[in-house]
Amino acid sequence: MKKNEDSHSDPAWNLAELLERVDNDQELLRDLLNIFKEDFPLTMRSLESAVAAEDLKEAARLAHTLKGMLSSLGGVRTAAAAARLEVIASAGETASLKGALQALKCEAASLLPELEAYMAEVRH
Amino acid sequence: MKILIADDDALSRRLLEKTLERAGYEVTAVENGKQALEQLQKLEAPRLALLDWVMPELDGPGVCRAVRKRSEQTYVYMVLLTSKGTKEETVLGLESGADDYLTKPFNAEELRARLRVGERILLLEDRLVEARENMRFRATHDPLTSLLNRGAIMDLLTRELHRSHREKKSTTILLGDVDHFKRVNDTYGHVVGDEVLIETANRLLGSVRSYDFVGRYGGEEFLVVLNSCDPAFAPARAEAIRKSISNGPIQTAKGSLSLTMSLGALMSSDWGLRPVEELLHEVDTALYKAKASGRDCLRMAQPIARTEPVTAPLLQPLRLQH
Repeated sequence: MKKNEDSHSDPAWNLAELLERVDNDQELLRDLLNIFKEDFPLTMRSLESAVAAEDLKEAARLAHTLKGMLSSLGGVRTAAAAARLEVIASAGETASLKGALQALKCEAASLLPELEAYMAEVRH
Repeated sequence: MKILIADDDALSRRLLEKTLERAGYEVTAVENGKQALEQLQKLEAPRLALLDWVMPELDGPGVCRAVRKRSEQTYVYMVLLTSKGTKEETVLGLESGADDYLTKPFNAEELRARLRVGERILLLEDRLVEARENMRFRATHDPLTSLLNRGAIMDLLTRELHRSHREKKSTTILLGDVDHFKRVNDTYGHVVGDEVLIETANRLLGSVRSYDFVGRYGGEEFLVVLNSCDPAFAPARAEAIRKSISNGPIQTAKGSLSLTMSLGALMSSDWGLRPVEELLHEVDTALYKAKASGRDCLRMAQPIARTEPVTAPLLQPLRLQH
């Protein structure tokens, strides 16, 4: 399973892969989504502060954490955006940092509504 | 089987926890490397560990290195979770002491399969340890009575004499011989003779404290070492041990037999620090006197009156046990 860095053919959210990972356990899936809903905005906020302060080390660490939770959840494109930010921060490319953060926020903006919609759906 | 998960991301942790519980594991989940190390140092700790690479406090490879540094502990099978999986990273992870690595996000089936590999390795380790323990026991114990064999009890006695001399305590050495044992063998056969030796061993073990040593010195001769034994009580304790043999007949396949034991005894306080072989010779002489005095009795070895101070090397160098 090979993926291009910029593969726009990837869905924002790969629900099928996630369902396979949780063995179709809806309760576990809800659990994960709830954890994500709580942890993601907090980590994003810290990342924004780190980028604003040009704290590269902290930005790389937070981007790594985001990458982990996003890829576990099947948020493929957003995870890729977090990964790019991690690489940029680790390489010390301060100039590209803000753009990378913007790209990450952009991807998140298309992922979050999908998750919300799914949660609303399974609740009923 | 117990397994430890260490991952700072709550979502990944929950996912791993649930996946592994479903696979039948007993899961302990922690959020950093320091906690992971603490868990692995506990008694009855998990022997399988799934460690995230990047973690606060101590990272995955750091945990691996710390665990591998410990010796004499059971093997922990450790799998690193990594998101990149570059060649350099893989090599670094394995060099730190990890057994395997998995790329995140993991595939549940692959994860389970890799952990089964770990279980196989641990099972193999258990068997090796068991075999080693069995061999160690056989090398130091008498196969008939399961008492310490001659070599083992001599080693222990040598150490004990050094220790008691250092700590200014007294050790009492007893050499016991089952009276008329040859007659038992000649009259009832070797099977009954063996039964007598086994029961004698049991009675001797039952009449000493847990930190004393009992060994089979040879044929029907037994060596008992009473550690840190107050010289004032030594004769009484030796008498009690002798009586444990004559107290009540021994049940054998050919009926019950009444037996006795002759004992020679020596207290290290009387003799100072001298070579073990020399001391045993003195005990043997005392045992011979007990036999000559009609058997079923105890004779204490008498201190030699020394006219000049001892200058010769007192003890052979300690043989180290492996």
